[in-house]
Amino acid sequence: MSSSRDDFGIAFRSALLQRGAAQKFSLISLIFVASILFFLDVFGFGFMKPVRSIINDGVYRVSLVASSPSRFLPDLTEGIKGFLAIKSENERLKKEIEIFKQKELNVEYLLNQNKNLKKILDSEDTYLKKENILLSKVLIDKSSPYLKSIIINKGTSSGILKGMAVLDKEYLIGRVVETNYLSSRVLLLNDLNSRIPVTFGEDGIQAILKGTSGTKPVLEYLPEDYEIEEGIDVFTSGKDNIFLPGSPIGTTTLDGKVKLFSEPSQLSFVKIDISQELGKEF
Amino acid sequence: MIKNPINKIINLGPLILLYYLSISEIDSHFENYFEILSFNIQLIIIYFWMLKRPELLGSGHIFFSGLINDVVMGFPLGLSSLSYLVISLVATYVKNMTVNTRITTDWFTFFIAIFFSNLIFYILVSNFSELTVSITEISYNTFFTLIFFPFFWFLFNFYNSMITSGKNA
Repeated sequence: MSSSRDDFGIAFRSALLQRGAAQKFSLISLIFVASILFFLDVFGFGFMKPVRSIINDGVYRVSLVASSPSRFLPDLTEGIKGFLAIKSENERLKKEIEIFKQKELNVEYLLNQNKNLKKILDSEDTYLKKENILLSKVLIDKSSPYLKSIIINKGTSSGILKGMAVLDKEYLIGRVVETNYLSSRVLLLNDLNSRIPVTFGEDGIQAILKGTSGTKPVLEYLPEDYEIEEGIDVFTSGKDNIFLPGSPIGTTTLDGKVKLFSEPSQLSFVKIDISQELGKEF
Repeated sequence: MIKNPINKIINLGPLILLYYLSISEIDSHFENYFEILSFNIQLIIIYFWMLKRPELLGSGHIFFSGLINDVVMGFPLGLSSLSYLVISLVATYVKNMTVNTRITTDWFTFFIAIFFSNLIFYILVSNFSELTVSITEISYNTFFTLIFFPFFWFLFNFYNSMITSGKNA
């Protein structure tokens, strides 16, 4: 019994301390260094912020170059697939035209609904002016099972601040959570850490849209006994004074979730609303 | 003269793959096909090669690839490095304790390795950082990483036998 415990101790010590022929560092020293780095970064020591910012900018650029082949291959495959499927594409488009024709009939109804929503949201502030919009390219959109975020190619040098709203076309997709000099990280709406105040429906129901790590965020803090109907458009309410009210987000589903208008995995260019006051901390 | 550099590059295969997976956009999260399907190839690479040919990876490179992964993923610096080094630690321990291993023993010990690795990851993230990660997502990731281990074991074993036979020749 004691000899097996001795064996364990010897093997464990050996695993921690030994350095093989090609090993320059022992595991224990690297574990120690990694732990120190982790705590320095987590507890936000002053000097870590610029260091991290420089490392981020450098690694994001290298990552962009390294990811080029993986971007090219899907494009090539898609091209071949598209070429082979022209007929089915044509049929699909015909069907879509039919659907659009049907949708045209609902335009009047939608216009009225839009007017009502503008009234609800005090619509003077709802439309973004062109000068307040900054177009940015998505550098990295590596999908993590834990965090849903993208890296964009604009940073503090372009006036980006933490908390700024990020849009795809006119649809809200997330907010800036980390800024570097030349790049920024955008937390997407479907991330578990995302919380956005929203409003929807003719009665202007208020709720919080919470990310779930899945594809559809969920509505929380709804009025008691409220039953969600399918297909109601959800907008930002602007209650947090971070997002302008009236940015469309998605439509409700029966299970209390929101199907986003913008597909988070298909982003190439995004718009950043830079109308917020410079120097404002979120 | 020509064979030597080629062999060197072939031997660097696992290390290049590890760095490439850490820095590139390539991911193993297939949410568009099956929402819960995600696995961590880096952990499999580190475990397998630290167990079979530790001289091909090196702890310093594992540490560094972890740092790169943290930057790309947006985790606090050092978190993935710690996670990877725990995997290396278990692999080195198993290597010291055993003479010859089969896929079943490797599979079982890999389970212990990823369990501790992901446990440390979760404890550090949930207790020390402002990030929130779902334990369910981590469990799914652990489960699928474990499920896919035999496939990569055979693949890497084949690669290993190729570079080993080249070395002997």
